[in-house]
Amino acid sequence: MTERVKTLRHRTLTAPRYLSLEQARIITQVYQESPDIPVALKRAKALARALEEMPISIESEELIVGNRTPDVRGGVVFPEAGIRWLDEEIETLPTRGQDTFQVRQQDIRDFRSTILPYWRGRTLEDAVYSQYGPAIKDMEKVVKINQKDHAQGHICPHVKKWLHYGPVGLLEQARTKPAGVREEQEDFYQGVCLVLEGAICFMKRYADLARQRAQTESNEASSWNLRQVADVCHRLAEGPPGSFHEALQSVWFLFVILHMESNASSFSPGRMDQYLYPYYERDMRQGRLTDQTALELIELLWIKFNQIVYMRHAHSARYFAGFPIGFNVAVGGQTAEGQDATNALSYLFLKAQEHIGLPQPNLSARLHRDSPDDFVDACTRVIGLGSGMPQIFNDESIIPALTSQGIGHEDAMDYAVVGCVELTTQGNNLGWSDAAMFNLVKALELTLNNGRCMLTNRRMGLETGHLTDYESFADLEQAYGRQIRFFVKRMMQACEWIEEKHQEHLPTPFLSAVVDDCLDRGLDVTTGGAHYNLSGIQAIQVANVADSLAVLKQLVYEQQRVSRDELLAACRANFSGHEILQQICLHQVPKYGNDTEWVDQLGAQWLTYFADQLTAYSNYRGGPYHMGLYTVSAHVPMGQNVAATPDGRLSGSPLADGGMSPMYGRDRLGPTAVLRSVARAPLTRASNGTLLNMKFLPVFFQTLRGQKQFSALLKAFVRLGIHHVQFNVLRREDLLAARRNPEAYRGLTVRVAGYTAYFTELAEDLQDEIIARTTFGE
Amino acid sequence: MTVRGTIFDIKRFAVHDGPGIRTSVFLKGCPLSCCWCHNPEGIASEIELWYNQRRCIRCAQCVTACPHRALRADPVEGPFIRIDRQRCQAHYACCQACPTGALEPVGQEMLLPDLMAEIEKDRLFYEMSGGGVTLTGGEPLNQPEFCLAILRSCKDCGISTAMETCLYTSQSILDSVIPHVDHFLVDIKLWETQMHRRYTGEDNTIILENFRYLAERHVQITVRIPLIKDITDTPDNLQAIERFVISLQRDIPIEKLSYNPLTPNKYPKLGKEFRCS
Repeated sequence: MTERVKTLRHRTLTAPRYLSLEQARIITQVYQESPDIPVALKRAKALARALEEMPISIESEELIVGNRTPDVRGGVVFPEAGIRWLDEEIETLPTRGQDTFQVRQQDIRDFRSTILPYWRGRTLEDAVYSQYGPAIKDMEKVVKINQKDHAQGHICPHVKKWLHYGPVGLLEQARTKPAGVREEQEDFYQGVCLVLEGAICFMKRYADLARQRAQTESNEASSWNLRQVADVCHRLAEGPPGSFHEALQSVWFLFVILHMESNASSFSPGRMDQYLYPYYERDMRQGRLTDQTALELIELLWIKFNQIVYMRHAHSARYFAGFPIGFNVAVGGQTAEGQDATNALSYLFLKAQEHIGLPQPNLSARLHRDSPDDFVDACTRVIGLGSGMPQIFNDESIIPALTSQGIGHEDAMDYAVVGCVELTTQGNNLGWSDAAMFNLVKALELTLNNGRCMLTNRRMGLETGHLTDYESFADLEQAYGRQIRFFVKRMMQACEWIEEKHQEHLPTPFLSAVVDDCLDRGLDVTTGGAHYNLSGIQAIQVANVADSLAVLKQLVYEQQRVSRDELLAACRANFSGHEILQQICLHQVPKYGNDTEWVDQLGAQWLTYFADQLTAYSNYRGGPYHMGLYTVSAHVPMGQNVAATPDGRLSGSPLADGGMSPMYGRDRLGPTAVLRSVARAPLTRASNGTLLNMKFLPVFFQTLRGQKQFSALLKAFVRLGIHHVQFNVLRREDLLAARRNPEAYRGLTVRVAGYTAYFTELAEDLQDEIIARTTFGE
Repeated sequence: MTVRGTIFDIKRFAVHDGPGIRTSVFLKGCPLSCCWCHNPEGIASEIELWYNQRRCIRCAQCVTACPHRALRADPVEGPFIRIDRQRCQAHYACCQACPTGALEPVGQEMLLPDLMAEIEKDRLFYEMSGGGVTLTGGEPLNQPEFCLAILRSCKDCGISTAMETCLYTSQSILDSVIPHVDHFLVDIKLWETQMHRRYTGEDNTIILENFRYLAERHVQITVRIPLIKDITDTPDNLQAIERFVISLQRDIPIEKLSYNPLTPNKYPKLGKEFRCS
């Protein structure tokens, strides 16, 4: 890392974070001034004015500039989507447990006196809750509907096109709109023009500020830097980028503006190593760039990715701690023709991750059967450093999954990732990947208890009967299917409501300018202007479904070792007074994640069933629904809603993590068995994305031999056809947690002497020794 | 008749017993009885009862389940379940009754096709890593027919093989497996014959003869010396073994294995005493 990178990295991490009300003031003013114009134009004007008027700043060391707030890591208030929570929490933002923000007293007063009164009853959130609140709340323990109070983000803009045309070229396209457009299309094009003009102005303002600063800067080096920045920004305001540096700056401006428009999570740059390569290659060929300077510029952009944070309410911050914002960058993969696409930038991006080691970007590596060994080994090395990145995606399974959803071959070959693990095509897709989460475990609970919640006894689902009424396992399965269908139908209705309200409240003209085919069709992305219009529903959580059904099938129906009465009573009583039965459920029936085919198939079968149900519906924009298998960290709150389950899990305790992972501590046969179990899921149907967590210890990566074995594991993963895997390489603090909570870490293996053992099965003093040992590695 | 044998563990993703990612198959029974034995559950040929106190929830279901009254519960001190191994008739009703698996049989009889099915599961990982199967134990050559049958089956279906052995066996048995083993991991523990007899129960003359014999006929051999404090780790012993290996002029690598600190915990589970501390 250069001194410049070190300085800026340090400053980014240590700068105090403030709530930022600047943009909220501008938005509110625009809405107040023009109450009668269509919302698309209000939004466009509000963004344009923010681009023209928001205070901006430049650090003298910076080579990549721009932010959406004058401070770094500002917590932006975005009134159009919803600010009810802030009314309750604005005073406690500086002191809350997770992700704190400082708040200026003046901002609190302004928020209460001008912002809040205007927006009451006018936000997306208010519209959703006043019309559909009760219905959505009614199903929330089984179906969690998302995007109720914020713009939905989760999109990969057409960066290549943005780089090719720049805002000036796009503006020209929007001005020469097709003939015979309707009135609302006129509004759309007008809005697009307004925001693109705003974007150009924004770039000019940075150019001007840099030039002024350069003139007054006494330090010669700083002054030279600032002049360089001024030149880059000036050129971008007038046309497309010509150099690698300009291209990186252009990418950053694009994402800053997207965040200013939507304040949403997960606008993702996608395959940067592909679309930036021509700029890199030309500069290198012409001797204008070295790998050293390229790496510095990349690292400076990497730091920038950490300067935009997403301020969540306290509840949400607990589960999405550390401001995840989803600048997902995909490296490697294949070309449209199926050749390996890895290039010098793929490696430089990995190197930047190795150096910077911050949460953003969310770096994803695409592997395929013919990925070069060097690339796989480079991924292994960076994973071994413990930042959890890159996460690994598998072309071999993902591309067929996408094409099976009607995605064209070329687009599927060019897939990228948004947010955490959501799969998308680039630049032409509103994937709405987090429409809802469907808690299959809760649906099973209702199936056992005649449609009533075991925690509250409230009726939620269909009265299909109790476990005691089902004479055969087939009867039980039939009832389960009915419960699922009942909730899927309601979920689809609610998803439509949400999309309708997004169309009414949050049209996004700037985003629409960089998503095909919005400009051709004269339609906003929220109205279905994108070429692909998908919606993703997450099925939660295969491990607990498989484990619970395995107990029911084997212990209750086949062996009849446990009566239906007894198991139902035990689940209702949270196994209190049924402790021995709980142990039998936990230990005497095989579990998902141990390569036991019949158990894995029980889970797989219900995922297929669930995916089948989704195909009967199409979303508000006319596109298909498809299934995802990931929770990120929602397995904790979702587990709180579920009573004790037949797999021996206690009431309220978390569900299995990730999405595809086995229930913690139940995978006893190591990583190969886990991967084989996961591969049995119907992954072709999970085209919205899947998530598998695995844990390794840093020592595994300390020898070349270990690294080679790990690379081999990645290659096997590719051939098994699993979409995604990510690795926790655990450190001292994780081991301490393992000691406090051994049940949850039973699958954790450690290298002791000449062999590997389960950490929690080691004697305490030996654990001490290993904890002490790993400290030396840090 | 299908070949069968007794194994006491199958460990997948074994990464230290030969090249690549492997599945290690632990065959039960050993002609030696080293006082430090890392796998005491592998010494006896027959299946034994294993009591893992840490998993026990003190429900005492096993006590009533045993038809021979070989178990009793002692709620006052020490291990909760006490096993009278003289009375135990190895019916394992206790294990079936135990809800947590705290009581379990160590070892199981396995038919060759069933074992091969387990081995086959990780074939993809062997192929990607240059790994395969490692037979270990106990002493795998203590079940020569079974051992040979596994090795042949592996070779027939293209799975690479390794064997960890102490070489305390007849030359004819050794001869029979040599063509089917890709890598030999040979444990040589002590050079001095008297010491060897004292700590392992047997003479090492056969072992050293077999080693010479093997070294003349096989290229992939690694010697492994377990480092046992003041017994095998003395400079005299280590140098003597090294001199011997070098004298054979086959460039055989020597690995020294650190002592397994888990070992002492295993003995009480089997009702045995650890005599090597």
